[in-house]
Amino acid sequence: MPGLGLSAGITLTMLSIVVLLPIGALLMQGAQFGLANIWDTVHRERVWAALFLSFRMALFAALFNLVFGVLLAWVLVRYRFPGRRIIDAAVDLPFALPTAVAGIALTALYAPNGVFGSLAQQIGWKIAYTQWGIFLALVFVGLPFVTRTVQPVIEEIDPEVEEASATLGASRSHTLRHVILPMLTPAALTGFALALARAVGEYGSVIFIAGNIPLRTEIAPLLIVIQLEEFNYDAAGAIGIAMLLMSFAMLLVINLIQIFSRKRIGHV
Amino acid sequence: MDIHIDEISKEFGVSRALHPVTLSIPSGTLVALLGPSGSGKTTLLRILGGLEFPTSGRVLFDGRDATGLSVQERRAGFVFQSYALFRHMTVFDNIAYGLAARPRAIRPNRTEIARRVTKLLDLIQLPDIGGRYPTQLSGGQRQRVALARALAIEPRMLLLDEPFGALDAKVRKELRQGLRDIHDETGLTTVFVTHDQDEAMELADLVVVMSMGRIEQIGRPLDIRERPATAFVRNFVSA
Amino acid sequence: MSDASLHRPGAARSARPASYRKPTEETPAARTALILLTVSGLAILVFAPLIVVFTEALADGWAAAIESLGNRDAQSAIRLTLTITAIAMPLNAVFGIAAAWLITKFDFRGKAFLITLIDLPFSVSPVVAGLCIVLLFGANSLIGGWLVAHDLPIVFAIPGIVLATVFVTFPFVARELIPVMTEQGRAEEEAALTLGASGWRVFHTVTLPNIRWALLYGTLLCTARAMGEFGAVAVVSGKIRGQTATMPITIEMLYNEYLSVAAFSMAALLTGFALLTLLLKTALELRHADALAANHRH
Repeated sequence: MPGLGLSAGITLTMLSIVVLLPIGALLMQGAQFGLANIWDTVHRERVWAALFLSFRMALFAALFNLVFGVLLAWVLVRYRFPGRRIIDAAVDLPFALPTAVAGIALTALYAPNGVFGSLAQQIGWKIAYTQWGIFLALVFVGLPFVTRTVQPVIEEIDPEVEEASATLGASRSHTLRHVILPMLTPAALTGFALALARAVGEYGSVIFIAGNIPLRTEIAPLLIVIQLEEFNYDAAGAIGIAMLLMSFAMLLVINLIQIFSRKRIGHV
Repeated sequence: MDIHIDEISKEFGVSRALHPVTLSIPSGTLVALLGPSGSGKTTLLRILGGLEFPTSGRVLFDGRDATGLSVQERRAGFVFQSYALFRHMTVFDNIAYGLAARPRAIRPNRTEIARRVTKLLDLIQLPDIGGRYPTQLSGGQRQRVALARALAIEPRMLLLDEPFGALDAKVRKELRQGLRDIHDETGLTTVFVTHDQDEAMELADLVVVMSMGRIEQIGRPLDIRERPATAFVRNFVSA
Repeated sequence: MSDASLHRPGAARSARPASYRKPTEETPAARTALILLTVSGLAILVFAPLIVVFTEALADGWAAAIESLGNRDAQSAIRLTLTITAIAMPLNAVFGIAAAWLITKFDFRGKAFLITLIDLPFSVSPVVAGLCIVLLFGANSLIGGWLVAHDLPIVFAIPGIVLATVFVTFPFVARELIPVMTEQGRAEEEAALTLGASGWRVFHTVTLPNIRWALLYGTLLCTARAMGEFGAVAVVSGKIRGQTATMPITIEMLYNEYLSVAAFSMAALLTGFALLTLLLKTALELRHADALAANHRH
């Protein structure tokens, strides 16, 4: 097969310029700054709070999306109702809609003078400019992941497996819990991890609705931007490395889930 | 348990899968539903198992109307063409599934479930595979596990959809005898669907030849071979 | 089974009890509840924000909305975003084809690692991506200093924005092509080669027709993301009005200046672009499902 040199050349060159060298530059910056200094930076109260907030809110949002995404996938594959195709296409909207647009739109809706925000205000529930706002924005950006990974798996479930469970005397809910759910788990967890990874690093949709109060609603990526605006490259790099480590950890988890599920369930 | 099928018909939308058919199966018989694809044999089997609902007609179990019974209430041991084993469970858990799924009040305890599963594994002559996953089994082993799983619920009858369809010729022969043995040992009324006339003739006490949603002939294998009732049966059997 | 029906000769003796349902279905009540729950959830989370973009843009009428898009800075932002997208798109397409060709046509060690590296940008925060580019090409870095000295600035200039955009959209095309090309195997290309066709000719006449819809699909995903990229661009662009402010950056600046109509008008235009890509993508899924990666076929 021809083209080995050309395709390898293009791939490696672009991979290096676009991805590897920039990430390498971040790691170099970190190495010059020193591990102890990075640790001190990350441990500053404001930085630690921001990192923990980003991770915590991403986790909550991804958990919400895990449950909602599986239900949504089930409804879209199994049920027929008017408007299903539109709903199916709309699941991708959070992928397509620019994050800054999502950010200002969600803020307009959920601010105290917005349509939903004013309703929530009446029962004393403040959404925008609180951690609820961050949660909401992260749910929005992570919405498609679980649904899109689980949908094809539901489509491929052999109906005879469900029938077998019923002929063995299992109720529908027993079948759903003990037969269907375990089949969906690997895909759902992959989607969950993807949504989590996306939400941890999310910036555009969050900063408008978060209020950005240090220690309370200030997310880690915003802190990087602030450090950069003050030309504090060392601190920015330290926070960046901490976030990069979180990303790597999640990438590892995704791969482990896939290896594990391939081993367990395999292909008949 | 004897089964009586009374004027059962089934329509899918505008197409008719079964014209009204009537059939009596005495308790303990091993019956083959024989016919080409599209003859309605699988539909009839699924109606017996409660997986499809007849458009009209009744099903009687031991003289009692069972038409309205749900799948779960029928207690029919069903073996699917694809075996439909639960891939994420071990062989042991597959066989134990029906017992573990029972409501707490009538669920056997753990040791009792283990005892019964072990017994079934012995019955299918695969005593050592309880810890394996279905993907680690051969086709013939899967079929036998599916059979054991269906037997675990102490079924009132055994229904099998093309039980040998996915197997190669050699394994097929072995497992035919296996099914016959299990039938004789349990004494269960057993209905299996097949398109292979040798299989039907060799294995069944009673053969029901079907075509185009109708029953062409009901009889013992010898009768069917020697006295085919219709031209279709003659052609199908001599093929 | 009612007795009355038994005595009516000829009547279809349907024994279907009112409660009958297929054993593989949930109860009608459960189905309705699930449909209502998910649809209303999507309405609140997805449809409402979409609608509010347009209602806010038109809060002062069409004239105000259109006028706000007409000024010089707005025009420059639109031009910049389209330019960036037009540069990033072919770069990613070329990379995607090259990477997919390398991965699916050849066997070599470390292939899984290479795929992981290609996927890496998906799991890196856009802001961190921007940070990396600033650290590599910024004025106080080794390379950046040299480039600035030779009047070729990358950070706070268009090349930096392109680089940031390519980074965040890097895996899209390759991700679409790899499964499709794996499924199609190598036999067709090998057959063409034995007939004496040159490598380019094989690619052009055999491979490309097989992958064109998947390629278009990946490019569409890439385009949608490229036009809307905010976090990475916010870091590298320097946000210079009329020069390095893309549409999303302009939206942020207008919004922070409380120019709501102008911000949402720009947002509505960008949303229009996004909806267009979504529409094309859905059309592709319906029309050419068999030519796309398996997980888009529903």
